[in-house]
Amino acid sequence: MRLGMAIDLKRCAGCYACVAACKAENGTPPGIFLRRVMKEEAGTFPRVRRVPYPIQCMHCQDPACKAVCPTGATTQRADGIVLVDDEKCVGCRYCIMACPYGVRFYHAKIREYYPGQGLTVYEELMYKLHPTGVTEKCTFCVHRVEKGLEPACVANCPTKAMTFGDLDDPESEVSRIVRDRRGMQLRAELGTDPSVFYLSP
Amino acid sequence: MALVKELKAEKEDVWIPSVCNICYSNCTIRARRVDGVLVKIEGHPEAANAGGGGRICAKGQSGIMLLYDPNRVNYPLKRTNPEKGIGIDPGWQRISWDEALDTLAAKLKEARQKDPRSITLTFSAVDTLSFGFTAAWWMALNYFSNWWVSGAGPHCGNGEHAMAAILHGAIHTQVDYDHCNYLLMFGCGAGAGMYYNATASMRWIADAKVRGMKVVVLDPLLSTPAERADEWIPIKPGTDGYVALSMINLLVNEYNLYDAEHLKTHTNAPYLIKKNGKYMRDRETSKPLVWDAGEGKAKTYDDPTIKDFALTGTYGVDGETCCPGFQALKDHVKKYTPEGAASISGVPAGTIRRITKEFGEAARIGSSIEIEGHKLPHRPVGVLYFKGAQAHKHTLWTAMALSLLPEIVGAADTPGSLLGSNPRCLGYPETGLPRWEPIEGPDGLLIAGSWIGPPPSALSEVKVPENISLQEISPLSVLGTGQPFTLLDPAKYGLKYTPEVLLMTGCNVIMTHTEIPKVAEAIKRFPFVASLSLHLDEVTEFADLILPEASYLERYDLPQPPTLAGYHNSAILKEWLTSLRQPIVEPLYERKPRHEIIFHLLDKLDLWQDFAATYNMVAQLREPYLLDPNKRYTWTEILDLTLKSHFGEDHNLEWFKKNGVIKWKKKPEESYWKHFMKLRVPIYFEWFVDLRERTEEVLRQLTYGEELDFSDLQPLPDWGPCASHEEKRPGFDLYAFYYRVPTHTFSSTYNNAWLDDLGQIDPTVYNLVMNEDYGKKKGLKEGDWVWIESMYGGRTKGKLHLTQGVHPECLAIANCGGHWSKYLPIASQPEKGSCFEWLMKLDPKCVDWTVQNWDLCVKVKVDKA
Repeated sequence: MRLGMAIDLKRCAGCYACVAACKAENGTPPGIFLRRVMKEEAGTFPRVRRVPYPIQCMHCQDPACKAVCPTGATTQRADGIVLVDDEKCVGCRYCIMACPYGVRFYHAKIREYYPGQGLTVYEELMYKLHPTGVTEKCTFCVHRVEKGLEPACVANCPTKAMTFGDLDDPESEVSRIVRDRRGMQLRAELGTDPSVFYLSP
Repeated sequence: MALVKELKAEKEDVWIPSVCNICYSNCTIRARRVDGVLVKIEGHPEAANAGGGGRICAKGQSGIMLLYDPNRVNYPLKRTNPEKGIGIDPGWQRISWDEALDTLAAKLKEARQKDPRSITLTFSAVDTLSFGFTAAWWMALNYFSNWWVSGAGPHCGNGEHAMAAILHGAIHTQVDYDHCNYLLMFGCGAGAGMYYNATASMRWIADAKVRGMKVVVLDPLLSTPAERADEWIPIKPGTDGYVALSMINLLVNEYNLYDAEHLKTHTNAPYLIKKNGKYMRDRETSKPLVWDAGEGKAKTYDDPTIKDFALTGTYGVDGETCCPGFQALKDHVKKYTPEGAASISGVPAGTIRRITKEFGEAARIGSSIEIEGHKLPHRPVGVLYFKGAQAHKHTLWTAMALSLLPEIVGAADTPGSLLGSNPRCLGYPETGLPRWEPIEGPDGLLIAGSWIGPPPSALSEVKVPENISLQEISPLSVLGTGQPFTLLDPAKYGLKYTPEVLLMTGCNVIMTHTEIPKVAEAIKRFPFVASLSLHLDEVTEFADLILPEASYLERYDLPQPPTLAGYHNSAILKEWLTSLRQPIVEPLYERKPRHEIIFHLLDKLDLWQDFAATYNMVAQLREPYLLDPNKRYTWTEILDLTLKSHFGEDHNLEWFKKNGVIKWKKKPEESYWKHFMKLRVPIYFEWFVDLRERTEEVLRQLTYGEELDFSDLQPLPDWGPCASHEEKRPGFDLYAFYYRVPTHTFSSTYNNAWLDDLGQIDPTVYNLVMNEDYGKKKGLKEGDWVWIESMYGGRTKGKLHLTQGVHPECLAIANCGGHWSKYLPIASQPEKGSCFEWLMKLDPKCVDWTVQNWDLCVKVKVDKA
C-alpha cells in the first residue's frame, strides 16, 4: 500500500482554503503551514500566466529527510506515510536542510497568534499537539486516515482538486487519474519518488 | 507524544450545524465543539448542491479566530473623551448593560419625539441577519427612512443589481455552469472564493472547466479568477463598457450572431421606437406597437395574430417614421468599432473580434436541450461582471452594455446562460412558502417579485429626497450613497430634521465609503453615535457608546432573507436550501446577540407592536404562526414560528437545531422561468427616457439639482470616460483601482490572525501591485515603501509588489486594508495593506447618480517613501 495524492491544477482555484483546512485541522502555530499554496508566474506582460500549486510533505518513497535523521525520529509506515516521532526528534533540523520541497518546519517555541495577548482557548487546546524543539510536517492527516477519512485539505477543497488513495492499487481513483492525466512529481529528477502527483492545468 | 497526534475530548465532542457569516454568501457549515471550545469549522455535507457546496473557504474556516480574538469588545463601553477625530482615543470606560441600554433608549426616545428620521441606522452587506428581523426593527425605529449601508456605492454592485432586476427579475446574476461552455468575466471574482455563492461557485466553475467550459477574463490585473482562466486579457480600467459595445456591434452588424427568436419572444426588441426615443403606441389601448412583417402592418405587441415580429427596418405608422428597438440598437452601436475599443481599452481589435466570434458561436443560437422533460433553448454562454467593471463614472452604461451582450444572443435565464439569482421561488412543496416571482409591469415588461427595496421598473417613483442617502432620487439604485453630502451640508440638501442619533451595526463606514476625513466629519455631525460592535475599529472611534455584540458563532439567526433570493441559494437547477444559524458557544463575556439588544430597546421604547406587524409581513408568516402584536417573544420563539410557517409543524426550531438544513429540489420552472411565464425584458430601455424627464423635473426643484448628473439615463448605453481618463498632469501616470482577494472580506477580516497569516503567503494581498517594467523604469524595487498621491489630493502609503501580471498603467490595491485603530493590533500594522478610500474625493462628480455608484478609479503618482 502506498498512500498518495493527485492535485488537479485544472481545478485548483488558488483560494487557500486547503491551507486554512490544514491549519484548522491540526491547529498549527503562527507561521507554520504544513500545506501552502505557491504561485508561479511565467511570461511577460501581456502574455503572462500565474499557476497556483499547493505543496506539502510529498511522502516520498525514498525520503531524503529520513535518510539524514540521526535519531531515527523520521520514519515511514508501511502505507508510505512519513512521520516524525517527536519523542525521538532532537531538533537538529538536518531534515529541514535535506527536504527538497521546503515543507518541514521547526517549532522553536510556543508563540501566540495575537502577540503579547496570551494564547486563545483554542490555541491552549491545540498547541498541546505541537511540542517545541522538534520538527513538524504534514502527516497526510494520519489521524483521519486511520478512521477512513480523507486528509483535511482533500476533504475541504472547494473545487475537489485533490484525490487521495492507494497508488499501489491500479484500480484506485488516484492511480487511475495519475495514469490518465499523466501526473507529474515535483523535482522528480532528485529520485525521492514523491507520492504527491500534479495534473497539468 | 507519539506518531499519531489527535485532539482528545475529556467531556464533550460534538458537531453543530450552522451558517457562516464571514462574508455575505452565508454558506452552510458545521462546527466541532470539544469541551466547550470551538475547534473546527467545515462545510456542511448536506449542502453539497447549494449553500456552500459542502465545503468552506479559507475565510469561513478562520471564524475560530474571530470568536476568540482577544481584541473583541466584550463589555459595554462609554466615551470619556469628548473630542472626536481620526486617531483620537475615545477614552473608553466600561459600564453596565443597564446603563448602556438606558442611555441608548433615552437618546432614541428623544430623537423619535423630534422626528423618527433623525435616527440613522447602518449595516453592511456582509452582516446578513434575517431580513425580516432587520426590516422590522428598522421600520419600528425610524419607519425605514434613514439608513447607511456600509460600502453601498463604493463597494457594492449598484449597476449590476439594477440590470439584474430589470433583465432577470433578481438582485444579482450567476451563470448556469452545469450547461455553460464559454464564460466571459469582466472585473469579477466568481469562482475564486469571492462574488456570490463564494465557495460553491468555485466547484461549479471547476466542474465546468473539466467538462470543457472556456473562461476568458478581462481585467487590468491577473487576479485570482484570471489566474485560473483559460485566457487573461488585460484591459484599462473603466473601458469594459466600450469593449462590450464593440462586441455587440460585431454580433449584430457584422457577424449576424444574435438570437432573433429570443429577441422577438422574450424582449422588447420588436417594439417600434419613434424619433423621440419613445414607443410608438396604439391610439386606443396605448400599448406599444410592433411591425408584423407577415402582414405588413403595425399591431400591438401582444396581438395573437402576429405572424412575424420585425426586428429590423424602418416603418411608417400614423404618419411617423419608426423602427424596432433592435434596429435602434443596431444603429446605435455602429460607432463602437473594435478599432475604437482597442484605442481606448488597450485590448487589440483582433482579440475583440476573436472573442466576440467565439462567444457568438458558442451561444449555439437555435439549439435546444432537454431538461427534465422540457425542451428548452440551450445558450451555453455567460457574461459576469462586478465591481471591477462597474466602479466607474458611467456605471449604468457599463452595466447596460455588459448585460445586453448575453441578452442579444439569447443567453438569459435559459439552460447554459446567465441566470437571475433567484427571480422565482415556488416554495417548499408542502407549504408553497416562501414564494416570490416576477410580475408583468407596464408594456408587458417584467418587474422583479422580490428585491431589497422596490424593484426598478417603469413604475419607479422619483421623489424629492428627504432621507440623508438621497436614494429617493435614484430609483434604479438599490442602496443610496449620498449620506456624507447631506450630513455635511443639511441646509443645502434641504433636510427637514436634524440628524440626532447614528446607530451602527456590523459595519465600518469610515473605511468603506469615500474620502475618509470628510466621512469622519459627516459622522461627527450626529450628536450621539452608538455602535453594536465586534471590534473597536476605525468607525467606533466616533461612537459615544459601544454595545458588545455576539458574533455569528454565538447567536441564532435565519440568515437567508425569507422573501428575498438569498445569496447562498444557487441560481442553477440544483436545490433550494434553508439553514439555521445557531450558537456554537454561548456568547462569551458580556456579549449579547443583536436580536436581544434590539428587543430590549423595543421594550423600553414600547415599539413591540410595530416590530411584529412588519415582521409578519416581510417574513411571510401565515396562520397560526403569526406574531401576536400584543405579546413579547424571544428571538428563538420567533424563529420557531417562522420555520414552522415556512416548512410545516414538524420542521420547528428543534428540528433545525438538530438537522441544520432543509432542502428541496429546484424546478426548471424556477431556474428557467422565462420559458414558463409570458414576460418580456427590455433590450431598449425606453422607460429611461421618461425616468430622466421625471428625475429632471425633481432636480429643478432642488438647490443642489445641477450637481447631480442624470444625463446617462438614455434608452441605449454609450461609453464615456472617467475623470481619471482625462487627468493628464505630469507624474499622474497610473490608474489606481481596487480589487478583492479570496482571503479577506472588505475591511472586516483584517484582524483575523489566521487570515493575516495566510495573507502573508500571497504578495498580492497586502502589497500595492505594480507592473515590474514600470517599477524598474521608475527605479522602484519589490518591497519598496511608496507614497501614493491621488489626482484629488489624498495620499496613502504602501509596500510594492512588482509583477508582470498587471497592466503597466495600473496600480492595484486589494480590499480595504490599511487599518489604523490601535484596538486592532494585527490589522493596524503598517504592512497590512492600504485603504483605497484615502485616494477618493467627496464630490458629486465622482458618482454615477443614476445608480448612485462611486468611481473607484483614480489617477495617481507614486514616489518612494
